[in-house]
Amino acid sequence: MNDDQSLRVAVAFARAVAKTPPAGLCSACVDLLVVSGAGITVMGPGQAGLLCVSSQRMAALEDMQFTMGVGPCQDAFQSGMPVHAPRLDLPVVARWPAFVDMARDVGIGAVFAYPLAVNGARIGVMTLYQDREGDLTIGQHADSLAVAEVLTETVLSLQDAAPEGMLAESLEEAVAYRAEIHQASGMVAIQLKIPVDEAMLRMRAHAFVEGRDVGEVAADIVARRLRLVDDRRQPGEEV
Amino acid sequence: MSNDAELRALNRQALTATTFVEIVDTLVDDFDVIEVLTVLTSRSVELLEAAAAGILLVDTDGHLRVIGASTEQVGLLELFQIQNDQGPCLDCFRTGTVVSVANLSDSSPWPQFAEEGLQAGFASVCAVPLRMKDLILGCLNLFMSEPVALSEGEIALAQALADVACIAIVQDMATREAAVREGHLQFALNSRIVIEQAKGMIAERGGVDMDEAFARLRSFARGNNRGLTEVAEELVAGSISVDAIVGGRRVPPPPNTRHL
Repeated sequence: MNDDQSLRVAVAFARAVAKTPPAGLCSACVDLLVVSGAGITVMGPGQAGLLCVSSQRMAALEDMQFTMGVGPCQDAFQSGMPVHAPRLDLPVVARWPAFVDMARDVGIGAVFAYPLAVNGARIGVMTLYQDREGDLTIGQHADSLAVAEVLTETVLSLQDAAPEGMLAESLEEAVAYRAEIHQASGMVAIQLKIPVDEAMLRMRAHAFVEGRDVGEVAADIVARRLRLVDDRRQPGEEV
Repeated sequence: MSNDAELRALNRQALTATTFVEIVDTLVDDFDVIEVLTVLTSRSVELLEAAAAGILLVDTDGHLRVIGASTEQVGLLELFQIQNDQGPCLDCFRTGTVVSVANLSDSSPWPQFAEEGLQAGFASVCAVPLRMKDLILGCLNLFMSEPVALSEGEIALAQALADVACIAIVQDMATREAAVREGHLQFALNSRIVIEQAKGMIAERGGVDMDEAFARLRSFARGNNRGLTEVAEELVAGSISVDAIVGGRRVPPPPNTRHL
């Protein structure tokens, strides 16, 4: 029975996808899976692009995971398995303290992350948010797996249609959303004479210490309102 | 049934079970499809008391190609190859049904195949389709040294082995295809990110805005006849100096590309 239901959900989702720009995919997830919110991230090893969120609250939570580099999204991607946190005081959640604080602040009670994967290929994560605490029903879980499968195929098909080596236009948003962060990491790399990856870590650390979002920090760097300080001066070197 | 025959039947049952367990074990995680198919042909020979077995797949041009065989016996490869013109595999592939010939010495619809088969020391032959729903991928080809017809049970067993081969092949194709598509997506995603990082580096060093930084990156790439992503990657990796791009100078290609 659940199989039939999930198939119907998958078909309904596929139909919604056909007439929805990628930015609207999260709303389709929220409607079909009956959850409070959703975020879809296209990911590769060590990089992530937010494809869409269903609302500003979810944007803040997805950004937080990006800032910290940890969260249900990263765990689901790395393990290739769904990550379920039906309450925010469970051991599984303890690994993402900053995420939990923010989730509570914005009134989220539970989070569920599903990897977007097919035949060993992993391309991102669909994260579902619930205002109330509590597990998804078995039906919701089955439906979420089905939707994640359709979503994976959708993202891959969008990219299939793109010219070789170019990111599909409809997926551009996933990078454009964080373009400033990548630009800022390039600037910091030059300023501090460090590799770009390290510059990104420095920006994340700065954002965390200042209690700010890494996107805001990046905007300040790009606008040249902020320069990160080089904290690697040799002992005895004059400041 | 003599004791001897009973024992053989029991042995075969045990071997059948072991074979399927062994093959299912190899199908998990990162399996090598050629290895699975080679194991399958060896087990087919043992289980069906055949002299040789091979798995033939049809390629995109419609040619049957051997992908795994139980032995490297001289003449066997030729027997597989000749079946692109005539033979049980071609018929099996075309019709999608089992083709079994109990005695190659009898008048055969494939005279050349029969002649070469007899010369190689085979007296009977059977071809079982590798099929997935309506799709026929190829066949499992069995050669026996005695003129015998496989029993219904033996043909069912051969078909079960062929079905497992089919699952391995289809799964392998799906995994390969997914890996290629994932690779394209990751490359494109990474390319866009690395270009943004490069823009930031150029903007900072040149004291220019992002649009101007991109214009300089592009003009450097064009001026040196290089791809945008390639230049951005080398800049971020430190193998092109940011000053070279900010200044808009032409630089000789890095030494390692000269050897290509």
